[in-house]
Amino acid sequence: MRKLQVAGLILFLIGGLLSGCSWQQASATKGDENNIKLWVPFSGPDGPKFEEIVRAYNQSQEKYKVDLQIIPSSEYYKMVNLTLSSKNNLPDLMIMHADRIVDYATKDQLLQTEVLTKSKKINAADYHPKALQASKVNGSTYGIPLDIHPLMFYWNKDLFKKAGLDPNSPPQNEKEFKEYAKKLTAPEKNQYGFAVPTVGTQPFLFQTILAQKGGKLYNDGHFNYTSKEALSTLKFVRDLIYKDKVSPSGLAIDGDLKLFLQGKNAMHFNGPWMLAQFEGSGLNFGVAPVPQIGEKVQKVWANSHNFVVPKKKEGEKLPAIADFLNYVGDHGMAWAESGQAPASKAVYTSKPFKELNQQPKVAESFDFAEYPPQVENWGQVSDFLFQEVNLVLLGKKNPKKALEDAQKKAEQYLD
Amino acid sequence: MLKRKLNSIWTKKGVQVVQETKLSKFTSSLFVLPYFIVFVLFLLIPLIYGTYISFHDWDLLGSTHRFVGFSNYAKLFDPSTYFYSVFMNGLWNTAKFVVFSVPILIIGGLLLALLLQHLPDKVKGIFRTIFFISYCISVSVIAVLWLWLLDTNSGLFNHLLSKIGAAPIQWLTEMPYAWISIVAATVWWTVGFNMIIYINALNEVPNELYEAGSVDGATPWQKFWNITLPSIRPVMVFTIVTSTIASFNIYGQPYLMTRGGPGTSTKVLLMEIVDQAFVQRQLGIASAMAILMALIMIVISIIQFRLTRNSEGSVA
Repeated sequence: MRKLQVAGLILFLIGGLLSGCSWQQASATKGDENNIKLWVPFSGPDGPKFEEIVRAYNQSQEKYKVDLQIIPSSEYYKMVNLTLSSKNNLPDLMIMHADRIVDYATKDQLLQTEVLTKSKKINAADYHPKALQASKVNGSTYGIPLDIHPLMFYWNKDLFKKAGLDPNSPPQNEKEFKEYAKKLTAPEKNQYGFAVPTVGTQPFLFQTILAQKGGKLYNDGHFNYTSKEALSTLKFVRDLIYKDKVSPSGLAIDGDLKLFLQGKNAMHFNGPWMLAQFEGSGLNFGVAPVPQIGEKVQKVWANSHNFVVPKKKEGEKLPAIADFLNYVGDHGMAWAESGQAPASKAVYTSKPFKELNQQPKVAESFDFAEYPPQVENWGQVSDFLFQEVNLVLLGKKNPKKALEDAQKKAEQYLD
Repeated sequence: MLKRKLNSIWTKKGVQVVQETKLSKFTSSLFVLPYFIVFVLFLLIPLIYGTYISFHDWDLLGSTHRFVGFSNYAKLFDPSTYFYSVFMNGLWNTAKFVVFSVPILIIGGLLLALLLQHLPDKVKGIFRTIFFISYCISVSVIAVLWLWLLDTNSGLFNHLLSKIGAAPIQWLTEMPYAWISIVAATVWWTVGFNMIIYINALNEVPNELYEAGSVDGATPWQKFWNITLPSIRPVMVFTIVTSTIASFNIYGQPYLMTRGGPGTSTKVLLMEIVDQAFVQRQLGIASAMAILMALIMIVISIIQFRLTRNSEGSVA
């Protein structure tokens, strides 16, 4: 069956080639330049929020119309790849994560958005510079940012109270973090101070602490997995499980999240997109920018959703796109309601935004956001590292050996 | 007598009969056509196109696809390349899964079918449904279900273990438990299918054989070994081959339950192929891997058929 699916996907590619021809003719008709087809991967609870923005835009004016298509997030980049490769039935505008832009920009698939930002409608200065910077490849901008989503720190206020800690002041540094974690741990009650993720959000936490220690995973065209900062990060995280014993060992996928939702894990790192689920769970939780665990500088792993314009044979619908993006920049509050913090200054500096609970905390993290390095297929190459980190956190491998093996794999991959 | 009569009727209207068969041959081929079209569209064309792609350096987003001959295949057999380690690791893990799961699926399906046969008629239907219904659930639901059962700290299994004072087991993050979990989830999911097939096969075994066996004083075990098993042999061959093929195609369970972990020790071949094709967008090397995988499956199926045909010959 699964092989059939793979075959089906390949067929989809051919189907795209065939059916695309008729589509193209249809889209070449006049008046169509005012219709924008927009693809987004928001198949979770954030989808309806985004739909709200699009609906409001379509009602706000007569001239342009946005046709929104939500594609399941697990299938999203597959669809994007296949559609871009066939060059037919392409959307006019789509959402892309910041760390993915380099993959497509270097393959000449995306329009440089300077044409948009130079127009009067959209001004680059209206967005947080970190988000804009992250959509730049070789000096050219390829995306208009929708949001910035840094890793966030969540804690269980009830457990803090029971452990005699102030429920309203989260730990700020490594010392406090470890101290609190120990106080919050009670193995006999199956309660832990900080359940360490072994997969899932583990790469985000690792990259956060590494950046705080001043380390880099990629430098001047070379992978740098064996740096002393990487080793010290890995040892710190491993020690939380096996030395400080503030975390259960051998956690499965989302095991740390499940424990947090059950009130058995006091401190938890996750993205701002979790807000709706945490609020729905009835937990008495707090949220803050991540503590500075590394000794050098405050940093946090972050990524962005960007609007990107795929290059088209028949030309892009720039006036319509600029008009829509201008609207989103000014009316992005609905997106904030999904837990995310829009990267548009007009929204994140506004009064209604600042009155929200979590989202201003997310925006506080903007200034020290650290994006993944601009390497093609970063998701895949970094996997070599995080598979090895996984083995270390499961107590199966020595940290030094693991990092060396990851480095070897990454170098072999580059050859 | 009756037979001869019928024959004469057929021959009397000989001309008409011939015409009818021509027409019926034509109409029957019409009925085959939809399947044939689907076969061509969804299997034959992708297969040929995939083979074609596998001879190229095919970046999904690249504008040109350079012809490279067999070099994609050569890379998969060159131990110094990254692709070799990816392919061999995936193949080895897939092979392990096939070896672990197929015997359980075959024997388990048969045991369930035998069990059902000996249940009172009233509850037969209920249990048949119970055992089969999991087959109708999609793999993502299966994975979520088992994740909740197997979670190290909040899963039901470890909760029960702690109730009896046993140490918790890391079902998904430690070997060999990760394989045990994946195999268990798969067996629970698909064993009902083999069971249904065996139930039908067992119903086909003529009762006279068992009666004759009883007259000769055969024990239940002897009846099973000398009557049941030989009678359902063709069906067994069928289930062995289909289960092997299905197990080779494993993807969803490890992808959703372990992400291929711990490390890459449950990362199966299809996960690697999908990674190459749709994450790294290297369709050439991914197609070469997929074609090799298909070839391996074909060879194994042929061997299975050969082996079973030989032993069948010796029985007859």
